[in-house]
Amino acid sequence: MNSPLTVWERLLTLSHVLADTPMLVIAMTILAFFAANSVYIAIGRPVWLPPVVPAATILAGMIALLGLDPDSYREGANWLMLLLGPATVALGVPLYQNIHHIRAMLWPIVLTLPIAASLAVGYTLVIAWALGASPTVMASLAPKSVTAAIALGIGDIIGSSVPMLMAALLITGVFTTLCVEVATRLLNITDERVIGFALGLNGHAIGTVRAFEISSTAGAFSSLGMSLTGLFTALLLPVLFNL
Amino acid sequence: MSILRGFLILVLFFLLGESLRLVFLVPISGGILGLMLLTLYLMVTGGVGNAVAGASQALISVLILLIMPGLTEIFFISGKFTGQWLAVSVSLLVGTFLSVVTTLVLLNVLARKLPSGSSNHE
Repeated sequence: MNSPLTVWERLLTLSHVLADTPMLVIAMTILAFFAANSVYIAIGRPVWLPPVVPAATILAGMIALLGLDPDSYREGANWLMLLLGPATVALGVPLYQNIHHIRAMLWPIVLTLPIAASLAVGYTLVIAWALGASPTVMASLAPKSVTAAIALGIGDIIGSSVPMLMAALLITGVFTTLCVEVATRLLNITDERVIGFALGLNGHAIGTVRAFEISSTAGAFSSLGMSLTGLFTALLLPVLFNL
Repeated sequence: MSILRGFLILVLFFLLGESLRLVFLVPISGGILGLMLLTLYLMVTGGVGNAVAGASQALISVLILLIMPGLTEIFFISGKFTGQWLAVSVSLLVGTFLSVVTTLVLLNVLARKLPSGSSNHE
């Protein structure tokens, strides 16, 4: 019965012991989600700040504060992220509910998709190449507008670095919501269908989260843009990188 | 119970998508295949039940919660690619801005030009 550790010592190592099961990580993530929500409302929902940014920042702060190893956080968070699969499927419901809007815009979408999705890859690759990026970096940047699960599959085929690919996806997603905000004002575009499609095509799931804040129609067009871009890019990049 | 039944249906569509991916070796994720299958299924049957609609709404409302763990990675990987960050950040930021503007302008112009584009149901 005489433990070599004092109560104080046991308290200090508590977070590591609790992190052996996913419960602590799940609680932290949900807590950070609510905390970020309150912060976001308190600072007046600024359009230049996508709400995932304060959420992830608060969460990263909590991980650092508890001294958790990022790997053990990731292990626990995988339990929560399992829900991304059915949540992606769930986007089919608003898509179906807006099918008449999509039908009405079928040809513009069919024509825009291959051009815009190719340029989403093209612009970035040309700039990166001009700035002397290595082949691995180019392969990691190429799937930047594709939702994570598909992008990782593409990355496997074309030889991306996984951490850099994830960083490129996240930066692109967050920056897309900002760019759409700025560009729609400059260009005076108010069509929610166009805004939603641009958010999903360029900013995958992060853009889609933003689109659902605008309206269910914007969300549906964003889901459509995200799915079609994922399909198109998954077919395009393996061919492009084989040349 | 209704939400649970809806959740089950979403999970089954996800598993169906995963199965297609694994059997036919397509590079598309099971989630996206499931999304397309569910949309097709709803189009064929012509309606969303309350169960699926409720579960879908619940999951979409917590989408941020599911994305934020991945986003925290950014705070822990910086510094691994010293020397490449200029090329990476400039190409991502400028490239993304250009492709956002391209998408917005292209779709906006086409939506106005093509005859089917005028739909104001709401």
